[in-house]
Amino acid sequence: MSIHRPFALAAALTLIAAAPVLAAPAVGQLAPAFTAKDGEGKTRSLAEFKGKTVVLEWTNAGCPYVQKHYGAGNMQGLQKDAVKDGVVWLTLISSAPGKQGYVSPAQAKTWKATTGAGSTALLLDPGGQIGRAYEAKTTPHMYIVDKTGKLIYMGGVDDKPTADHASLKGAKNHVAAALGDVKAGRPVATAVSRPYGCTIKYAE
Amino acid sequence: MTRFFARLLAAFAVLGAAPAMAQPVDTGHLVAELVARDQSIAPGATTYVALRQKIDKGWHTYWRNSGDSGEATRIAWTLPAGWTAGDIVWPAPTRQPTGPLMNYGYQGEVLLPVPVTAPADAKPGQSVTLKAAATFLVCEEICVPEDAVLTLSLPVVEGLAEPNPAWSGPIAKALSDAPTPAAFTSVFAKQGTTLALAITGQALKGADVSQAYFFPFDSTVIDHAKPQVIERGPDGLTLTLTPGYAFQEGDGPKAMAGVLSLGDKAYEISAATGAPPPGASGLGAPPSKAVGGGGGALGLPLAAAFAFLGGLILNLMPCVFPILAMKAASLAGHAHERRVAQGQGLAFLAGVLATFLALAVALIAVRAGGAAVGWGFQLQSPPVVAGLALLMLAVALNLSGVFEVGSSLQGVGTGLAGKRGMAGAFFTGALAVVVAAPCTAPFMAPALGWALTQSAPAAITVFLALGLGFAAPFALAAFVPGLLTRLPKPGPWMEGFKKLMAFPMYGAAAWLVWVLTIQAGNTALARIFAAAVVLALAAWLLGVAQHRRAQGGKPLALAGIGGALAVVAALAAVWPSYGEPQAASSAAAEGGKANVPYEAYSPEKLAAAQAAGKPVFVNFTAAWCVTCQVNEKVALTSQGVADAFKQTGAVYLKADWTLKDAVIEAELAKHGRAGVPLYLVYGAKGGEGVILPQILTEGLIVRALKDAQGR
Repeated sequence: MSIHRPFALAAALTLIAAAPVLAAPAVGQLAPAFTAKDGEGKTRSLAEFKGKTVVLEWTNAGCPYVQKHYGAGNMQGLQKDAVKDGVVWLTLISSAPGKQGYVSPAQAKTWKATTGAGSTALLLDPGGQIGRAYEAKTTPHMYIVDKTGKLIYMGGVDDKPTADHASLKGAKNHVAAALGDVKAGRPVATAVSRPYGCTIKYAE
Repeated sequence: MTRFFARLLAAFAVLGAAPAMAQPVDTGHLVAELVARDQSIAPGATTYVALRQKIDKGWHTYWRNSGDSGEATRIAWTLPAGWTAGDIVWPAPTRQPTGPLMNYGYQGEVLLPVPVTAPADAKPGQSVTLKAAATFLVCEEICVPEDAVLTLSLPVVEGLAEPNPAWSGPIAKALSDAPTPAAFTSVFAKQGTTLALAITGQALKGADVSQAYFFPFDSTVIDHAKPQVIERGPDGLTLTLTPGYAFQEGDGPKAMAGVLSLGDKAYEISAATGAPPPGASGLGAPPSKAVGGGGGALGLPLAAAFAFLGGLILNLMPCVFPILAMKAASLAGHAHERRVAQGQGLAFLAGVLATFLALAVALIAVRAGGAAVGWGFQLQSPPVVAGLALLMLAVALNLSGVFEVGSSLQGVGTGLAGKRGMAGAFFTGALAVVVAAPCTAPFMAPALGWALTQSAPAAITVFLALGLGFAAPFALAAFVPGLLTRLPKPGPWMEGFKKLMAFPMYGAAAWLVWVLTIQAGNTALARIFAAAVVLALAAWLLGVAQHRRAQGGKPLALAGIGGALAVVAALAAVWPSYGEPQAASSAAAEGGKANVPYEAYSPEKLAAAQAAGKPVFVNFTAAWCVTCQVNEKVALTSQGVADAFKQTGAVYLKADWTLKDAVIEAELAKHGRAGVPLYLVYGAKGGEGVILPQILTEGLIVRALKDAQGR
C-alpha cells in the first residue's frame, strides 16, 4: 500500500505526544485555555488566575436543576465559601441568544444582584466555544482547575441527579469535597462524576 | 386534541366503573395514567401495571440512563400491606440528539410496565388501590420536571384473571419487545482513545446490523454523543465507542451492561473486559441503509436515472479514454456505411451491457458470500491487473498493425468486414467496461452505492442503466443521420489514425504495469516485462503468419508458435500469484514527492485530528483509479492547495484502496459509495464530512478547506 512508512510512524508518534493537549478535557491534564467577556464587559481569561484554584460552573437560570441549587441558596453558599478560601469561582453561560438561560451583557450586570451569587465573575459564552472546548453538557456542570492549570475535578455538583429540591438534604456535594481535599493538600478523592441537569442550550 | 380525547376517555372510564380503573392526569406536557394488563388479580399472583405516558409532540421523557442530560422517570409506590411492586421493565429507548449532546428516551406514547404482586393472603372480593407517585422530566429544548400521583383500583379475584381488553395487548407487546438478556458473548477493550465492544452470538450471524447501537445502563462508561462505528463479523459485530468519564480514573470499569439495539430488535447484554474475538469483525461496515449514507435515500427510478447520467459522463473520465480512442478508430472506418456502422453500434452496446451484467452478477454474488468488495474490485487483484496490462498491449500492437484480429488490412473500409467487425465491436464494448469500471463518475457513485444495498433485480437494473448511458453516445452516433457523414471520407489517413490511436493503448498498458508494481512490488516488474516481450514476439509471429496466408501460403507452424507464446505470456503474467510489496515500494517514493504531506487514513486519526479542532481532508483513492490519479496530479499537488493546507492547518489523510481494505470499504459504504474517488472535508468544529465533487480543481479544494476552517 502506498504508505510512506517512516513518515506515517513519525506522524503517529507526533500524534501520541500531542494527544494530552489536543484530546477531550480530562482530569490530570491541562484545562483548555479561554477568554470571555464578563458582566462588566471586561475580557477575562483562565490564564490570569494561574496560581489559584479555579471553579468553573455552567449555569442557566431557566433550568429546574439550576433552580434547585440556587433556589435553596446551595450554590451561592458554595460560591461564597470557596471565594472566602481564596478560590476563584467563574460562572459561565453558554446559552445562545434567544435560547433558555441566555443573558445579555446588560442583564449580566445585574445577574449577581438578582441571584445573590458569590461568584468571582460571570462569563458570557454565547457562541458556546468555551462550553464545547470543555465538553460541558449540562447545567449545572462543574470543573475545578488547580493552581498549575490542571483539571482536578469534572462532573456534577453532587450525587443526587434530580431536580427535586428535597434531594439537597443528604446529598454528597462533590465540589465542596474536592475543594476540601485541595485545602487539606490531599489529592481529590472523587475527581470525576456524572454531570446532571438540563442540556446546555448551545448555538446550532 | 389528544389531550381532549384522553380526558373524554377518562370520563367514560369513570362512568363505566369497570374494574382495574384509573384516571389519567395531564401534567403539562404529557398525560400520565396507570393501566393494568389484567382486570383483576388472584391472591399470590403477579400482574403488570404500566405507567402510560402520552407525550406532547416534540417533547420526550427519559430511559433509565438519560444520556448526557435529563433524568429517568421514577415511580414511588404506595401499596397496601403485603403488596409489592418491582422495577420498571424499560422498553428499548430511542436516541434524542440535542445540539452536540445525546439523550436516550421516548417520544409519542410509551408504556413503562411494572410487575405488581399480591400477597397470598389477599382477600378475594376486596378491591385494592395501587398508588404511584410518578416523577419525570419532560424536555423539548427546555426541560420541565413534572409529576403526578396516579391511582388504580384492582379487584382481588380467585382464579385466572381476565385480560383487560384495552391494555393487555399493548402491555404484553411492551413486555415482549423489551430487551431481555441474550445468549451473546460480549467483551470490551479500551484501545487507545476508543472502546471496542465486540458482541457475538447465534442470533447475530447474518443479522442486519446496520442500525446497531449500544445504550449503556451506566451514564459514565461511554461518550453518548460520539458516533458508534459498526463493523460486521461472521459471528457478530464490533462497535467502536468513545470511552466516557469512568475511564478517566484508574483502569476504568471492568464490566459494562446495557442494551444492544438493532433497530427492530433489542437485547440486554453484559460485557466484561477481554480481547475481542476474531468473529466479531473483519467484514467491514454494514451496507448503508436509508439513514446516514449519502445515496441512501435514492429510489430505484432516481438511482437508474443517476446511473444513466453517470454512464454518459463516464465517457468523459480519463480512464475510458484509451478505449474510446480504439472505438473512434473503428467508427471512423465505417462512418460512410450506415448499416455497418449501425450494426457495430448495437454490437458495442451489447458488449457493454453484457459486461456490466456480468460484473454486477459477480459483485452481487461475492458480496452475498460476505466478502467486502466494491466497485472496481477486479482491479484489486494483481493477476487481473497483469492480465489486463497484457491485453492492452495486445490491442495496441493490433492497432499498430503488427497483427490483425478478425478483419484484414484490406477489409477495413470496404464493408466486407462488416460481419466479422461485429465481434470486434462487442469486444471493444466489453473492454471499455472492464477498464472503465474502476472509474466512478458524478451521479454514478451514489447510484452504485445505492444499488449495492438493494435486492439483486434493483441492483441489476441500475447497472444496466449505467451501461446504457455509457454506450449511448457511440451507439446513437451511428443512428443520427448526417452525423457520420460529417467525418472525413475513409482513405489512407485512416491507417495513420489507427496507428496513432495505438499510443493511448500503450499508455494504458504502462499505467496498469505501474498499478501492478504498487500492488505487488518491484519484483513484479521483471515478470510482467518478460511476459510483455514474449507477447510482442507472439504478436509479430502471428502477423507474419497472417501476411503469408494473405499471399497464399500456409504458415501453420508460425501461427502455432505465435499462439503458444501468447498463451505462455498470459500464463506467466497471472500465475503463480504475486507477493506482497516490500516496505519501501515505489509508491512510498510517490508519497514523498507530493507537496502536501499526508498520513494513511484511519478512523482513529480522523477522530484525533477532529478532536484537535483541525479541518480534515480525506482522499479515498486507488492506484488503478485514473480519475483519482488525475485529481492528485492536477489539483491536489498544486502550490495553491499546499498553501491552503498550511494556512488552514488542515490534516490530509489518504485512504488507499489499491488493495482490498475492509476499513476503507466501510467508510465508503458509510457515505453511500461503492467505489473511489471520494473526497471528504471535515470541518474544524467536527461533525459530518462534506462530499466534494469527483473532479477536483485547485480553487474548489482551497474553497472547501477555507470553509472547513470556520465550520
